[in-house]
Amino acid sequence: MKLKAARIAFGVGVLLLLFVIANPLRAQMAAATLSGTITDSSGRVVADATISVKNVGTGQSIGTQTNLAGVYDVPNLVPGGYTVSVSAGGFDPKVAKVTLTGAKGQTVDLVLNASPAQQKIPANKSPATPPANLPNAPSSTTTPLSLQSLGFAPSQTQANTQLQARLDKRTHMLKVHQTLGLITAIPMMAALITGPQAKAEGENGKTITEPTAANLDFHIALGGLTTGLYWTTAYYAIFAPKIPGVKPKGAIRLHRDLEWVHGPGMILTPILGILAYKQENAGEKVHGIASAHGTVAYVTAIAYGASIIAVSWPIHLKFWERR
Amino acid sequence: MNKILTALLLCAVLPLLFAPPVFAQGDTQWVLMQSTLTYHMSHPIHQVYGVSHAAKGKGVCHAGECDFLIAVPVKSFNSGDSNRDLHMLEVTRGAQFPMVIVRTRFPEAATASPTIYADLDVQFAGVTAHYQHVPFQRVTKGNEVQITGTIPATCSDFKIPPPSFLTVAIKNKIPVKVDMTWRQK
Repeated sequence: MKLKAARIAFGVGVLLLLFVIANPLRAQMAAATLSGTITDSSGRVVADATISVKNVGTGQSIGTQTNLAGVYDVPNLVPGGYTVSVSAGGFDPKVAKVTLTGAKGQTVDLVLNASPAQQKIPANKSPATPPANLPNAPSSTTTPLSLQSLGFAPSQTQANTQLQARLDKRTHMLKVHQTLGLITAIPMMAALITGPQAKAEGENGKTITEPTAANLDFHIALGGLTTGLYWTTAYYAIFAPKIPGVKPKGAIRLHRDLEWVHGPGMILTPILGILAYKQENAGEKVHGIASAHGTVAYVTAIAYGASIIAVSWPIHLKFWERR
Repeated sequence: MNKILTALLLCAVLPLLFAPPVFAQGDTQWVLMQSTLTYHMSHPIHQVYGVSHAAKGKGVCHAGECDFLIAVPVKSFNSGDSNRDLHMLEVTRGAQFPMVIVRTRFPEAATASPTIYADLDVQFAGVTAHYQHVPFQRVTKGNEVQITGTIPATCSDFKIPPPSFLTVAIKNKIPVKVDMTWRQK
């Protein structure tokens, strides 16, 4: 009966794990990115152009704008046929058709022709005109102000789609890490609770220590589930893309430092648990290094809990910081 | 006779040579000397303040109108936690649209008023949002002018999906406090 309960608990855990991992991965795999650069007929980039990408099949539209480098980028598109509509003040609107296949990104660069009434607007200025109902609305038609005139280097102002893709993947993986980490805490707590009652039956079929719940199988199942979930959680943090030039700072440092406690703990705890299990099944009292199984498990769980609290603690309640 | 004509011609031409260009008459320029921009993000268990001192700005007043351009790199905002800052950079598409750009225009006469009401075009995360009649307090300190105010920004203004933590999303409002010191050139 208890073995059955253990199997059910283990099965539910595995299904939960598969659901958590598979769902975002499937969504990510199907996504493609449509990007491109909008220029005018003289080859100068058009900033602030409005882009509308419409899925021909579903009729759903996604809007964005070009940045100062004239670049637009629409991620997370499912494969299919799309119409790309571009409009910008001072230019005739343009429409292009594109078919996205698989998860590969596709580039659609478009050239806008200046509309006759607006041809005096310099292309390096924002072609967007202010709303007519604003008496002192911003205007860009006479101002010689630009990011370059402010002193920003082009590398600071240009879009970096590769970095954005890394950030997207990183966030996705860390979200899975966070969700799995919280889920892992449940069987971990249950394993800690059932640990003291987990005693094997002796060779004569009776439990060694009386009274006991003799719940060893259930404890083992919980321990196995915890270990599996823990290392899957760790995978999503370890293999999340690193962002060059960023040094860990703030609560995340403590969160990461605590890995050096609960990480080795999650290696040692199952090994010591197996040793203890063998000793119990041999009719022996748990002895030697195996007797540290419980202590190591508690230290591991405390470090694990602390690492969650480190990133969850309400930072506005940090009494040691002066705002 | 010729000498007199030459002298008269020089008198007429020389002042023109040394006169400032016609297009610069009445122009004044402003330069942003220092700034503190602070966004406030609110979550049931977190109050986050992200600060940047990296804004650059210029203003040009011409023919009674002043145009200002202020820009700040998205990644320059520091909330004290590198992980959170990277997540903010991701959710605001800060690598794809690396700058927050603010443009505004108001009458030159308003620059002498203790409260300046500005209509702002704020370009952020690939979206341009318009804020009308945003009040800024102006205090003159010697030859510098300090401008303070708050831009009532929201996530939805820029189509930013509110980031969530522990499955709870932050509040939509992300007001940005502005404290800038300008100097007239």
